Amino acid sequence: MTATAFADTTSGRSGVGLVASVQDLSIHFQTKTGMLHAVDEVSFDIRDGETLGLVGETGCGKSVTARAFMRLVATPPGVYAGGRIDFWSSETRAAGGGPVNLLTIPEDEMLGIRGNRIAMIFQDPGKALNPALSIGDQLAEVFYQHRSDELLDPLGPGTPAVVRRAARQEATRVEKILLKVPPLRSQANRVKAAVDDRVAAALADTQIPNPGKIMDRYPHELSAGMKQRVLIAQALACDPDLLIADEPTTALDVTVQARILELIAELLDRHDTSVLYISHDLALVRGMCDRVAVMYAGRIVEIGLTEEVFSDPLHPYTRGLMNAVPSSAHRRGALTAIIGSVPELIDPEPSCRFNTRCPYAAGVCRRLDPRFLRHTLEHGVVCHAHDDPAALAARPDEMPSFARVDDAR
Amino acid sequence: MQIRDYLIRRLMVLPILLIGVSIIVFTLTRIGGSPIGIYLSHEMTPEEVEQLEERYGLNEPLPVQYLAWAGGVLSGDLGWSGVAVAPVTAVFGDKLTATMELATAAGIVAVTLGITLGTFAGSRRDRLPDHLTRVFSVSGSSMPDFWFAILLLIVFWVYLGWFPIGRSDPAIWASIAHPTGLYTVDSLMAGSWQALRDAIWHLILPAMTLGLATTAIITRMMRSSLVEELNEDYVDAARAKGLPERLVLKRHARRNALIPTVTVIGLSFGFLLQGTVVVEILYQWPGMGRWLADAVLRGDQATIMAYVLFTSVLFLTVNLAVDIIYAYLDRRVVLGS
Repeated sequence: MTATAFADTTSGRSGVGLVASVQDLSIHFQTKTGMLHAVDEVSFDIRDGETLGLVGETGCGKSVTARAFMRLVATPPGVYAGGRIDFWSSETRAAGGGPVNLLTIPEDEMLGIRGNRIAMIFQDPGKALNPALSIGDQLAEVFYQHRSDELLDPLGPGTPAVVRRAARQEATRVEKILLKVPPLRSQANRVKAAVDDRVAAALADTQIPNPGKIMDRYPHELSAGMKQRVLIAQALACDPDLLIADEPTTALDVTVQARILELIAELLDRHDTSVLYISHDLALVRGMCDRVAVMYAGRIVEIGLTEEVFSDPLHPYTRGLMNAVPSSAHRRGALTAIIGSVPELIDPEPSCRFNTRCPYAAGVCRRLDPRFLRHTLEHGVVCHAHDDPAALAARPDEMPSFARVDDAR
Repeated sequence: MQIRDYLIRRLMVLPILLIGVSIIVFTLTRIGGSPIGIYLSHEMTPEEVEQLEERYGLNEPLPVQYLAWAGGVLSGDLGWSGVAVAPVTAVFGDKLTATMELATAAGIVAVTLGITLGTFAGSRRDRLPDHLTRVFSVSGSSMPDFWFAILLLIVFWVYLGWFPIGRSDPAIWASIAHPTGLYTVDSLMAGSWQALRDAIWHLILPAMTLGLATTAIITRMMRSSLVEELNEDYVDAARAKGLPERLVLKRHARRNALIPTVTVIGLSFGFLLQGTVVVEILYQWPGMGRWLADAVLRGDQATIMAYVLFTSVLFLTVNLAVDIIYAYLDRRVVLGS
């Protein structure tokens, strides 16, 4: 544990009311010049039924954090350098079990969670669908993978092993041919019909007109908005406990964006799913999320209830982000960009990652990692400006001060 | 449904392509020399030469000559082979089946081995299997086939004596009937294990030589397109659905990686036919390649034209098959056109 490590203790440690808890998560990437600290000791909780926004600019590590929930960070070059992600699945909870650490559970257990208890909506719907498979085939895979028992149920206990294996997508090439001829064909067809029903229902859930027809279509025949609906249907197919939405509307036209957002909000309401909503769009996050975590250069710099963070941003970076977004409160020409760009994250020295761009940066910011400070019960920040010089063993003139700089302007 | 329409459309273009090919074949061969060249000698009088020209219709305009030849081809007359000293059609069948058996064996080896090796390497990018496969494919595609053939011959025929050359053992050949001319199929039909073993034993070295370069090319293509596909978002999306890596690779990545590979397979078939010339000469394989080499050296135009025409037809057919597989793998092809 270093000074930056912080626990989002605002929601308690018992696991009651939590769907996931990230603790000191570090993900590094091996590069030719050294270790890139893409995610550095990040901690936050996702509470039951809440939508948590994860905001930050491109390359700040928000997508890597999201992928870590699915354990989809490619290793190598990625390295899970530390920390844990505890996940309370509704299945284990119903059985009275505790959380599992998503970073250490065996791969076969992870397969049962991916797409089933945790699902993901991808940024670019045009790329997240396989161009060679029909929409129906791609959605069916989810049901075969996670709901094969239910599909086989109506067939009774005497179902041949081949049919069972096919429903679990384990059939070999020879077995697949066997399933195309009587007597197995009728049973295989019943499984197929059951899957088709579920696929059609999932598509209808996302208000896709004519789901039966869409199933036979290929991705290139659909519009981007349609594809994103398909992907949403696919993600919600198994009623997941946690949905990870990685900028689900960034690649869409503005008009389509609004409709997809409405759809997501409506579906989340109905499915009662917790969401990790990743975005760089502050206005959008403000509208969608219960709480917001702001990420910068691999670290979370501020976290809190959406209203609190937006009405009283504590971190200079959060302030900078808000000043860079146009709103009716801004005078014409009063938008300010944050100067500079994201620092190199290869083998970083202890310091505040934002110090090179921060208008308030002072001596202590350049030599010490800032630590998590609780401002209110729900609102925390990682910034020296809010810390006590005595606790840091720093001289007062080494400390950053918002007032001093703002007054001097 | 859509694929059937596509197929019909493609089949309708085929006759037009064939007419085009036949015109090109005829013109190029005529430019290359005179069809009576092979029969001329210094002892002939000018009158005799004129008689020959008359007999071969060389005084007629070129289009008329073409029509006469094309008419002959359509009625099953490919002319007289000066090399074989027989009508082309009489020798063609035996030579063709010999070459087809060799090329098919080499093709099957190249396609299965190439796709398997390419998948194996591509899914283990930058690890030891990938590096070993790269060594194989670079050396395989850069090694001259005549040199590789001689190498195999020296080791396995001269020193070890494990494999024979030629196409079959005469005694074993005579022991069974040959209804198809493909010795492996014939021996299976006759139910003779001895003949089958003999046919396969004779096939191994030439098929390996002929298939080496093609295997290397297919491996390389499969490997690189699989690596590319594995970086696509839909692969991670498939993983995010909870699919095991086996299905992610087979159903998602490999299927898409096969699309460019299939094109290469179709093109490399021409490579394979071209390779038969050298391989058949070195391994004493009585096929079309050797026959063509003789015909070219001695100016036997009827044989050259028959060979080129036939291989063009074969090439067109194979590429039609490739396009159909392509359409099956990538539905955008069907709807795009």
